[in-house]
Amino acid sequence: MRSVLDLISVALSGLTSRVSRTLLIMLGPIIGVSAIVAAVGLTESAKGDLQADLAELGTNLITADAAGSFGAQNPSFPEDVVERVSSLSGVESVTGVRALDGIITSPYDAATTYYTAFPTPVLTADPGFLEVMQIELLSGRWLNDFDYENGARVAVIGVDIANEFNYLAGDNRTLLLDGLEFGIVGVYDNVRLADAFNTSVLIPPLAADNEFDTGLETNTLYIRADPERVEEVEDNLPIAINLGGSEEVNTSIPSDALEASAKADSTLQVIVASMGILALIVGGVGIANVMSISVIQRSAEIGIRRALGHGRGLIAWQFLLEAVAVGFFGGLAGVGVGIFIVVFASRIFDWTHVLDPVLVIGSLEFSSHSMGVPTVYLLGMGAALLTSVVAGLYPSVKAARLEPLETLRLG
Amino acid sequence: MSDGSLLQLEEVSRIYGDEVKVHALDRVSMSIEAGEFVSIVGPSGSGKSTMLGLLGLLDLPSIGIMRVTGTSVRDLSDYERSRLRGDVVGFIFQQFHLIPHLDARRNVETALLYRNLSPGERRRRAMEALDIVGLAPRSDHRPVQLSGGEQQRVAIARAIVTKPKLLLADEPTGALDSSNAANVMEIFQDLHTPIRAIAIVTHDPAVAATAQRRISMKDGQIVADEQLRESNGSTSFGGTMGDDGNGTLTAPEVSG
Repeated sequence: MRSVLDLISVALSGLTSRVSRTLLIMLGPIIGVSAIVAAVGLTESAKGDLQADLAELGTNLITADAAGSFGAQNPSFPEDVVERVSSLSGVESVTGVRALDGIITSPYDAATTYYTAFPTPVLTADPGFLEVMQIELLSGRWLNDFDYENGARVAVIGVDIANEFNYLAGDNRTLLLDGLEFGIVGVYDNVRLADAFNTSVLIPPLAADNEFDTGLETNTLYIRADPERVEEVEDNLPIAINLGGSEEVNTSIPSDALEASAKADSTLQVIVASMGILALIVGGVGIANVMSISVIQRSAEIGIRRALGHGRGLIAWQFLLEAVAVGFFGGLAGVGVGIFIVVFASRIFDWTHVLDPVLVIGSLEFSSHSMGVPTVYLLGMGAALLTSVVAGLYPSVKAARLEPLETLRLG
Repeated sequence: MSDGSLLQLEEVSRIYGDEVKVHALDRVSMSIEAGEFVSIVGPSGSGKSTMLGLLGLLDLPSIGIMRVTGTSVRDLSDYERSRLRGDVVGFIFQQFHLIPHLDARRNVETALLYRNLSPGERRRRAMEALDIVGLAPRSDHRPVQLSGGEQQRVAIARAIVTKPKLLLADEPTGALDSSNAANVMEIFQDLHTPIRAIAIVTHDPAVAATAQRRISMKDGQIVADEQLRESNGSTSFGGTMGDDGNGTLTAPEVSG
């Protein structure tokens, strides 16, 4: 054990006696590992907001669409569907909407032709809509009891359509639905889990039935389930909705798609990490090169160590450990530089930095932590150590093979 | 020759080259006993450097048998031979061969590495050896900060710190001026004890004359092996310093 400590101290003294050269050959591992750490950290940080949103929005939202029986026109749910689904075990809240087909929305009469070509979705919405979607009003108010009970010609619109129609908060404005004026009473925020709503116009169901004769049925449900029982609720929904009837129900979990898109974008990660590995390899060649020269320069030292009774094995270990120390400390510094890059860039781009990113290599997905340390750091360190061991092999064997008689110039 | 010899060569040849064979040593037989003070002299090309390599276990005979404290070195692995070298032989070179990036103390400690010693114990022994050559006060100096004579004294401290049975010196005064050379030879006299043999390879007749025994070489063979003096340690003109017989070194008085 003491011999190992002796070896380590000899290797370190060899490195610290030539500081500038040591720092130079450390650049390879530093650049390589920092590129790997930064690549993975940055790509994760860049989509970190998405994941933060997911955590905030929750992954327990389920949508159920009425698909009707085969070939049905305008499939819809029975009128009491919200009550039925509400009573389903594991369901926390439900809201129903109905997409209205063929209604032309336009900010004012002259624009009608344009908006006929690019129609804006019009939907009816229940009072529970904001709560289930977990969104806020940006301005104005939500549809109130009076609107619901009397079928008032009022609309709450998405933030994108508000911009499109140049609607300013507090404006006393109307929009035209099939030529009928509806008062705009509120604007709601981005719906990240269902972004079609951002360009939608929401009106009270009774108003839709009164003016467009649509009936009061809904055709899409949004359901918040107990987070532990999302899948169970999703499975039970079709039965609860149509009671074993022939109508088809399509269910989906919108957050799944977001999660998938957050993971899929690993191309940049792979490219930059590959460059890091390339830098490591080039750095490894540099280590091997400089250390080979160093072995020649230090041949007298090697000869004297041999004369003092250090065997070939110890000489080989000494130089191998010098290389490994370069890889270790270079890798450590590389992790530090990588973390700095991630934090610094995240500050510039206003991201939330992710310092314990999930690492995806091909179809392998590494969890963010192992042994309490982010996996990407361990893998970066491992790559640096592996490189330095391989790089150190040739110089150390060369050092061990030196004949002390030839290096000591006797006589 | 008995097995009690410190070093023993029997019909040893050392041959270099494959196509053209050069007999650097040609059927040499001799032995060095414990506590002897031997000089090996000869012109360049006489084989004395080859002899030094063999005696120091840095090289192996091509033909013949060499024994160190009774053990044939041919049967040893590199590790065992290195171990034996570290335990039995202490080297001193013409060019000192201190490791430039280590200070005097750490140069001396280099000889004590991989011996399962605590750093404190290693340091204590190194300082003890430096004290013997009178350089304890300069233990934190690097070789470039020391004079040639001082560097050679550090090298001597490094050679004796392992308490070797044989001090093997290669032209130890070759790179020194005359006063430093005299000083170093004085130290050698002091270090010569009944249990520590000294072998000096040199071409300097004055250096060779300080030894008890002189081996003269020419063309790879021993041409003369003369006993110059009988006594053991009595030639010391350094005076009081030496070994108390238990392997513990005592401090000398060194001038310069």
